[in-house]
Amino acid sequence: MTSNDVDEIRRLSTQREVLRAPFAQIWLRLETIDTDLVQQWASASLALFHVNAGPACIIAFWQVAGSLGPGHMRLISKAGMQAANICRLAGAKAALACLETLPICLRLTSVQPASVQAWWHGLDRLAEAAPSLLADTVRRIEILLADGDGFAFADFVAAGLKATATNKARRAAFFALEDSLAQMLLTRRAGGGQGFAECETMLGAFIAGLCGRAPKLKAGPANMTRRSMIASGTVVMPPVYAGVAREQVRRLYRAAAAHAYAHLTLPTVLHPVGPLKPMQIALIGLIEDARVETLAMRDAPGLRHLWSGFHTARPGGATTAAGLMARLSRALLDPDYADPDGFVEKGRALFAEASARLTDPLLSRAIGGLLGNDLGQMRLQFNAKTYMVEPPYRDDNMHLWELPETPDDQLSLTVDTARGVNADNSTTPTPGDGTRAPRARETGQDDRGELLATYPEWDSSAGVERPAWTSLRDHAPRMRDPGAAEPGEATLRAQIARLVRARVVGRTERQPPQQDGEELDLDAVIKASVARRGGLPLDGRLYRDRRPRARDLATLIIVDVSQSTAAVDASGQSVLAAERAAVGALASALEASGDCYALRAFASAGRDDVRLTRLKDFAEPFTDKVLARLAGLSPGLSTRLGAALRHAGAELAPQRTTRKMLFVLTDGEPSDIDVTHPQELVEDARRACRSLRQCGIDVFGIVMDPAGVGSASTIFGRHNTIHVRKLQDLPAKLANVYFRLAQR
Amino acid sequence: MDLTDDRITSAPFYHQTGNERAIFEAAAASRLPIMLKGPTGCGKTRFVEHMAWHLKRPLITVACHEDMTAADLAGRYLLTADGTVWNDGPLTAAVRFGAICYLDEVVEARQDTTVVIHPLTDNRRILPLDRRGELVAAHPDFLLIVSYNPGYQSAVKDLKESTKQRFVAIDFTYPEPDAETAIVAAETGIDVPVASQLVGVANRTRNLRGRGLSEGASTRMIVHAAKLMSAGVKLIDALRASIVLPLTDDADVREALEAVILASAP
Repeated sequence: MTSNDVDEIRRLSTQREVLRAPFAQIWLRLETIDTDLVQQWASASLALFHVNAGPACIIAFWQVAGSLGPGHMRLISKAGMQAANICRLAGAKAALACLETLPICLRLTSVQPASVQAWWHGLDRLAEAAPSLLADTVRRIEILLADGDGFAFADFVAAGLKATATNKARRAAFFALEDSLAQMLLTRRAGGGQGFAECETMLGAFIAGLCGRAPKLKAGPANMTRRSMIASGTVVMPPVYAGVAREQVRRLYRAAAAHAYAHLTLPTVLHPVGPLKPMQIALIGLIEDARVETLAMRDAPGLRHLWSGFHTARPGGATTAAGLMARLSRALLDPDYADPDGFVEKGRALFAEASARLTDPLLSRAIGGLLGNDLGQMRLQFNAKTYMVEPPYRDDNMHLWELPETPDDQLSLTVDTARGVNADNSTTPTPGDGTRAPRARETGQDDRGELLATYPEWDSSAGVERPAWTSLRDHAPRMRDPGAAEPGEATLRAQIARLVRARVVGRTERQPPQQDGEELDLDAVIKASVARRGGLPLDGRLYRDRRPRARDLATLIIVDVSQSTAAVDASGQSVLAAERAAVGALASALEASGDCYALRAFASAGRDDVRLTRLKDFAEPFTDKVLARLAGLSPGLSTRLGAALRHAGAELAPQRTTRKMLFVLTDGEPSDIDVTHPQELVEDARRACRSLRQCGIDVFGIVMDPAGVGSASTIFGRHNTIHVRKLQDLPAKLANVYFRLAQR
Repeated sequence: MDLTDDRITSAPFYHQTGNERAIFEAAAASRLPIMLKGPTGCGKTRFVEHMAWHLKRPLITVACHEDMTAADLAGRYLLTADGTVWNDGPLTAAVRFGAICYLDEVVEARQDTTVVIHPLTDNRRILPLDRRGELVAAHPDFLLIVSYNPGYQSAVKDLKESTKQRFVAIDFTYPEPDAETAIVAAETGIDVPVASQLVGVANRTRNLRGRGLSEGASTRMIVHAAKLMSAGVKLIDALRASIVLPLTDDADVREALEAVILASAP
């Protein structure tokens, strides 16, 4: 950046007719501001010239600079540089779009430099991976940056690129915001980031407390945004609730879970559909909802308050079947609600009359059938196509019905509508549709190592545990010269050493009397004086000493070395290299603190060959050998996390320490060549984690998944998942997390 | 030394939930040491006080902790102006003068410390004081009681097998809802319906044991809530202050507990 840049830009501008006037205009404003800022502006302009951004881009840049004034010049010049980079990657049209929307970006982010920077970072990633989509995506800035959070936008881009890695059409749909995942992510952001994943722990504890049962809750597919459903004892809840205010979301999830469990705690009777019309089906469901809620409220009266907040129907407006049904729902729940309508009154009266017989599951069919007839005779229109159970906390009630094998059109329409399935949206990520190609490559059978153990695997679709399904094999580590220390490693080590010092010095423990020490041990002195006076032999151990308490803890760190860890970030560092650096740095710190730990690496090539590489055993000291083994790790194969977790548990179990911790370093989703539905491996890993926790092992996932949209939180639990946004943060983060957790 | 101060003069309230009184009396008559197991706040200490009053014996309670040494139990020489003077520890005092010695949360003490009670807990009933060169034979009224909570103890903090097998054990759990309601009402004087509500909520929190909480609300916690309520605090606030906040620091679990309380309240 020199004053030459200013001269150069003036020369270039005067050469081109189209730029002459705009340059003169901007120059008038620039003359009054600091020369340093002018130079930055000139460098950015020059950068745009050098990438042939074209006059439109350059003029757009100048206009933004002119309109925003000197206070923001630094930020604008930076943006000009970024735009030049985007022009290089994705062309002038994309760069122009970025520059033209820059004022909107600054307005939405309230000119927070970090947030603006994150927005550009997201654009950069998009320009690299999908240049053709950039210009159109940027034009949607009002939606994409509605909350002014540039980081959330960068995460959104990362999530979209990851989810659509192999499917161009889906990628285009994602960034056109037509894909269900994109909509789900945006909805979750609009809901203050509150979706099922954020509420799951709370909901589980709530249901366990309320009903005394182990809760079975899970999130439905991304396009399920309307009503929960109950399937074979599990409550499937929408991953997000669209259009619900941020402060209401958690309450709504609670209401929905409590309602679903009101159904589940009562004996179920499947009603045959028979000749029933959709309206009757809907009404019988409504009465059944009221019945289970009334029974639940006998046990927990406060639920009335929780549920009634969502009943907003009231008299007035046009009389429609759906409207009357919503009012009836409210009337049956809320005794203070007054409704003059004859139908609502009748429903209330019938229900009140039956209050002594509420435990009879056939009651709802009787009352609902009667009311259905009445409503039918009122000749009110009922649109089965659009009818949804109201209010939103109630489930679709499809679990009440015994559905025929081949439902007729009318019925399947009812089912689809109730389920909230959006037929137009065909971009749902169904497992196995090729959008998530297995990452592994096949290998020959000859290099299979010694069989260490076999472990069961959970088949979530069948709901069974397959015994001895996976075989874990020992793979001898390859040794490689660890080579020269990587740049920045010295700082890293110093940083970690500080952490160790801060953490190790903690509580001290009184030692038995010592030969020497800082203070006399009073008991020992008295004993010695007594002995001396009594002419007995003297014990010379008279000093007391307090030593740092040895932490009673064993840690196992397992490192995912599957093919996906070969991925590199912008700085050219691979995930595996980051893992290696992190584990190496932590290990040397642990060695200093004297904690007991072991290191393992894992990858898999099908269920028969889950490969475990022992980098360091519990008793083994951390030597150059361990470093060489670490250096010898190379990426390859897939991630069968469940088997690795079970084995880690088996290795930790015999350690005789109070606390046992398991750290899993991974970059994302479990997958394997012989598994077409990766979700099953997620469920399996989650189950493995849960059983480890029951054996008193704390499991933590350190996950290189910047967007945080992967399954890691599902597997490890939200509290036990640490997302690492940038690879270079990994070593410090791992060490920090370790010492924070080890202290507990 | 007559341990007058250690005698319990008025009857501590205790509601029997099983046959624990009969077993205690039988064990005391046979001079067998007794181990009380059960979750925190379910009435173990109160039971010991009640039985000490019932048997009219002094009660010496020692809260065990991990820095406790054998000398803290048995006694030690102290320095005085004239030289060294032996000072009986709580255990020795109980052995000498015939009291009930109650070691509360005995697993908290180091294992080498607890070995000191071994000769007292078999048919020898003696306490060797090796520093003093004395063998103290136990008074006929001496009774050793230990308590521990098997719930949150880890494998490392467990009693030695050789210690465990010396005791007659009585298992304590939280009383049945009706009995617990009666206890809370009797202990605090609040109305039975309110006590019943509190017990209902506490029982729901016990469902969370192992799912976010290491223990649910104890009877003691319900009594605290009831005391707050009789001092004019509202039900929800009393439950929050005496149960939710002490039980957990986890925001999710806290939110769930508060929701459970709201759902259970009228």
